[in-house]
Amino acid sequence: MTRIPTVHRIALLFNANKIFDRDIIAGIGEYLTSTRASWDLFLEEDFRCRLQGIERWQGHGIIADFDDPATCEALSGVSLPVVAVGGSYAQASDYPPGVPYVATDNFKLVKLAYDHLIEAGLQNFACFSLPQAAVNRWAQEREKAFTALLERDGLSGQIYRGVGTSAQSWDTAVEQQIAWVRSLPKPIGIIGVTDARARQLLQACLCAGIAVPEQVALIGIDNDPLARILTRVPLSSVIQGSLEMGRTAAHLLHQMLHGARFAETRILVPPAGINVLASSLHEVHKHPHVMQALHFIRQYACQGIKTEQVADYVGVSRSSLDWYFRRELGRSVHDEILRFKLEAACQLMQHSAASIAEIAIACGFTTVQYLHVVFKRELGCTPKEYQEQWQQGAEAAAPRNKHRLSTPLPMLDMAAAPTHHPMRAALAPPAL
Amino acid sequence: MTHFKHFTLSSTPAGDGVTWYTLHNAHGMRVVVSDRGATLVSWWAPDRYGRSDDILLGYADDYGYATNGPYFGGLIGRWGNRIDGGRFTLDGVAYQVDCNDGSNHLHGGSGGFHLKHWQVQPDPEGLRMTLRSAAGEAGFPGNLLVSVLYSLDDQGCLSIRYSATADAATPVNLTSHGYFNLNGGSNDIGDHMLMIDADQYLQVAPGLIPVRPAEVAGSAFDFRQPAPIGARLTWPDEQLKIAGGFDHCYCLRHDEAAPAALRQVATVYDPGSGRQLTMATTEPGLQFYSGNFLAGVQGRGSRPYRIHDGFCLEAQAYPNQVNGADSEAVILRPGYLYRQTTTYQLSVPGSA
Repeated sequence: MTRIPTVHRIALLFNANKIFDRDIIAGIGEYLTSTRASWDLFLEEDFRCRLQGIERWQGHGIIADFDDPATCEALSGVSLPVVAVGGSYAQASDYPPGVPYVATDNFKLVKLAYDHLIEAGLQNFACFSLPQAAVNRWAQEREKAFTALLERDGLSGQIYRGVGTSAQSWDTAVEQQIAWVRSLPKPIGIIGVTDARARQLLQACLCAGIAVPEQVALIGIDNDPLARILTRVPLSSVIQGSLEMGRTAAHLLHQMLHGARFAETRILVPPAGINVLASSLHEVHKHPHVMQALHFIRQYACQGIKTEQVADYVGVSRSSLDWYFRRELGRSVHDEILRFKLEAACQLMQHSAASIAEIAIACGFTTVQYLHVVFKRELGCTPKEYQEQWQQGAEAAAPRNKHRLSTPLPMLDMAAAPTHHPMRAALAPPAL
Repeated sequence: MTHFKHFTLSSTPAGDGVTWYTLHNAHGMRVVVSDRGATLVSWWAPDRYGRSDDILLGYADDYGYATNGPYFGGLIGRWGNRIDGGRFTLDGVAYQVDCNDGSNHLHGGSGGFHLKHWQVQPDPEGLRMTLRSAAGEAGFPGNLLVSVLYSLDDQGCLSIRYSATADAATPVNLTSHGYFNLNGGSNDIGDHMLMIDADQYLQVAPGLIPVRPAEVAGSAFDFRQPAPIGARLTWPDEQLKIAGGFDHCYCLRHDEAAPAALRQVATVYDPGSGRQLTMATTEPGLQFYSGNFLAGVQGRGSRPYRIHDGFCLEAQAYPNQVNGADSEAVILRPGYLYRQTTTYQLSVPGSA
C-alpha cells in the first residue's frame, strides 16, 4: 500500500547572497533529495529574507538564519517548528533560547586558519575583522577565538576592525589598512574573518608593495570562488561545513514535523577543509643562504649589485649560491636581481612623475637603453609605452603574456585589479 | 614476466620473543607490524606540511599488546565482530563458541588471532605472516591455516591480503582492527570528514547484534557525502544511543556481476593535517566504529586515550552472518580458499 506523503510547506529565511548561505540551502536540498521528505520550499525569488508577516504565515516549519537579530526577533512569536542556523557562540547564553540551533563552529574555523599559519612558520599573528554590528556577531566570535588561541599559546596579536566599506570611504579604508599592516611586525600571518575581508587586505598589501605571502601571509574564511577570482595572489581559505549544516538543519526539522522536539539541541559543525593557495604559502623552508641573499638583494638591487657581491655577502661561492637559487626559486641570482629592479622600475612609473632616464638610474639600470631592452624582453613594451598606459588609466592593461621570469610580477599584472582604481573591484560585486 | 617490486623491511626485537617489522616506502612512510597478532602497530605518514606522525593508536611497547583489550591494530579472527549467543549451526551440528562480549561472541574469543604469535615467511612482495589455528580453539571446528601479506607501495597504499584454508567446514571472517587518527593524536577524530559508499547499514539491538538493514538516507548514518564524524555523533538518533556512537556495519555498494571485486568504499579526510585515508576492499560489509570505549585506555601517549580518539573501518562479512540468510557465504570448506584484499591508502590531496 502506498501512501501519498504529506507535503510540508517550509520557509527558508536566508539572505542567500553569500556562498555560505547558498551552500546551507544546497545542503537542505541534498537532504530532501536523499529522503522521501516532500517539502514545498518558500524562499524569496532574490534569495533575500523578508520577515514581514512571517508570524501569520500558513506553513509547517521554518529554517532560518539567526545571525540576523531581526530574524531571531521576528520568529520569537512563531509557534511553528523552527530550526535556527548561524554562527557558534563561546558563551552558551548567547544562543537564542528554545530553538534547536545548527552552528558553524567559529572557534574551529579560526583554529584551522591559525594552525595553518603556525605550520607555515609564522610567529606573529593578526586578525582583520569587521566593525562591530548586530548582524555580524560571528565576526566578534571569530575575534574571541583568535584571542583565545593566542592567549593559550602565550602570544599577543592585534585585531583590526577597520571601517565598513563604501564607495565614499574606500580610499580612506585602504589607507588605514595599509597603515595598519605597515605597523605590524613582519613576517606576519593575518586571518581575515571572511574571504571578502581578506581580499580587501590582500589588495591593500599589493597596493602598498607589501609582499604576500613573504611579509604578510593571508588566509580568509568561506572559500568563496569570487574572492579567489578577484585577487591577484590566490587567496587561501577555510571551507565552512555549510552543506552539512543544511543537511543537519533539514534533518532536525524533518524530525520535528513528525513530533520530535529539540528545544536545547545545538549541533556544531566543524570546517570541511582548507584550501591552501599562494596567499598563505609563506616559505620558511628556504635555505638560509637564499634567505640572506634575498634580504641583501631587496636592499641593494637598485644600487646595481651583481651576483658576486651577493655571494660575498652570504659568504659562499657564486656558483653554489646560484645552485641554491635554482633549486629553491627556480631562477638564478642574476634573474632575481633583475626581477627586483624591474619591479622597482614599474613601481616608480606607476607612482612617480620621474623621467624614464631618472628611473633607469634610480633602479640600478646602467643605461636607459638597457632598461629599454629589459622592458621589451620581459613585458613586451617599451618603458615609455608602459608609463603611458599607466597614465592613461586602468583600462590600459600591460601585455601579460610575455613574462619570461618565472615568478609573475604582481604589480605588473594590471588586468586583474587595477591598483590605482581600487573602487572598480569594490563597487562591482557581481550579482549572483 | 615477473614484476619485481622494491620494498625495504627492517625488524627490531620487541622482547618476549616478539619482533616488530617495519615496511618502508620511497617517501619515508613507515608501517610497523608486530608478529604478536600480525598487529598494525604504527603508521608514520607525512601531513600537509611534510611532518610525519603516527596515525594509528596503540601501545608504547609489546607489553600492552599481550592483552590488547581494544584490539589495537590487531588482525581479527577466526570470527571478526559478533555471533549472537556464540551459537551457530553448521551442517546440522550446533556449535557454541566463546562468549566474551556479554552474552555474545566477539573477535575470536579466547583464540583471538590478535594475541597469537604469527610466523613470518619470506615473500618477495612484502611482509607475509602465517598462523595455524587449531580445531576446537574458542569452540570453532576445523584446523585453519591463515596467511596475511602486508605490503606498502610508494603511493602510500598499505595492502592487506588474506588467505585461509581449513580441513573442516568453519565460519571465517577476518578483519584488520586499526584505530586511525589522521591528525596524529593532537585532537580527537570529531572533525574528520567521513565518506562511506553505502546506501544501507545494519541497525542493532542493545547487544549490538544486527536486527535489520535500514536506509542511511535521512539519518546520521548517511555518509554518502563527506560529513564530520563529531557533528554526526551529536545528531539525535536512537541507534547512536544504543551503541554509544557509531559501531555499525555498512552494506557496501557492489557490482552484482562481481560482488567480491576490489572497489573503493570509504574515504576519511582530516582538514587540519590534510591527510586523507582511502579504503578499498573485496568484502561486503564495513564496520564503522567511532572509538566509543577508548576512554581511560593508556596507550603510547602521555595521557590516556579519550572517547573518539580514534576510529576503525573494518572490512568484513556481516556481523552474525553465520546465523543469517546468507550464512553459507561465510563458511570455508576443505578444498576452498578464503580470500580478502583490503587496502588503506594515505595521501595529502592537493599536494604533489
